[in-house]
Amino acid sequence: MTSLEAIGHVVHAAGDAPIVASLGHPAYDLFGAGDRPANFYTWGSMGLASSIGLGLALAQPGLRVHVLDGDGSLLMNLGSLATIGWKRPANFVLIVLDNERYATTGGQDTATAHGADLEAAARAMGFTSCVTVRSADALAESLAQTTKASAPALSERRESKGPWMIVVKVQESAPTAKPPLDCVFIKQRFMAAIGCAEPATAGERP
Amino acid sequence: MCDGLYAAGSRDVVYVPDNPLSHVLGVLEDTYRDVTTTIATREEEAFGIAAGLYLGGRRPTVMLQSSGLGNSLNALGSLLLPYQIPVLVIVSMRGDAGEWNAAQVPLGRAVAPICDALGLPVAVAETPETTAATVQLVGQTAFGTRIPGVCQLPRRVTMPPKPAA
Repeated sequence: MTSLEAIGHVVHAAGDAPIVASLGHPAYDLFGAGDRPANFYTWGSMGLASSIGLGLALAQPGLRVHVLDGDGSLLMNLGSLATIGWKRPANFVLIVLDNERYATTGGQDTATAHGADLEAAARAMGFTSCVTVRSADALAESLAQTTKASAPALSERRESKGPWMIVVKVQESAPTAKPPLDCVFIKQRFMAAIGCAEPATAGERP
Repeated sequence: MCDGLYAAGSRDVVYVPDNPLSHVLGVLEDTYRDVTTTIATREEEAFGIAAGLYLGGRRPTVMLQSSGLGNSLNALGSLLLPYQIPVLVIVSMRGDAGEWNAAQVPLGRAVAPICDALGLPVAVAETPETTAATVQLVGQTAFGTRIPGVCQLPRRVTMPPKPAA
């Protein structure tokens, strides 16, 4: 499965729900798989996609928040897993596109090519549901679990709740398109799409 | 300080612990029960969480020690500033007058020049009596202009010397 195919499944499962993408190939492939207003593309801040997603999940508990991270990016901010495990937002889905490479910067190995296990790390930090998948069917099944558990009618049954970690072992798909570069446009379109439209500044006086 | 951030409309504090501010979370829990707090493992992470809170319609505050500003620079430079995501930043100073630890001095001295280089406005809470008003103004300016604003709390305010006997 390529990264682009994997993200296509995430976009399909997310419906109208927000997706926060780490910079580089995760963001490029999210744009390629389906540009939509509820996509938040980062152009910098490597490592922080899961933190941005955590803040959003805490601010909006009624939204199911998806984060597309890379293995290299998550390795840069592993402490984030501990904070997410502490706050334990039930509406948080962390999808790690693990190609075992720093693909955006030339394909150097990451530690996951040499045994680092991000699923085990998330479990150790208190994520409630953690899985590593290698096929499109297994990914679709894992994503379906997060959707079921979020449905209010099912909430009283013993469906699993987040935070979820889905590590997807992927091959590179050499992105050919890039998302909009205008950061403020990305932000304002995203906030409006998730029901938190950024108000015009009002020149507040003390 | 809590009065000031509350008056600026902030109901979310993301925090990496610091000794002079150690009682702040207790005050927030006792007095401002609608303020949520999150302890981050690292200051850069705190700014990421704050950015997500803002995207979700909140007005976040990040509290950190001056040394932690060094851990935050890429988040400020490549996320908050280009996306115009405002955060009220409260920096508990180390390395200024009253410091005993040489390891705190270089970053403490660098706080104002770093903020200047990034284009972050800085205000200093000069006295305990004016701290709430300064924090409030920095917050209102940040959320009104969508530029993160920094309020420095000097050591002479957070850890005033005991009067000579």
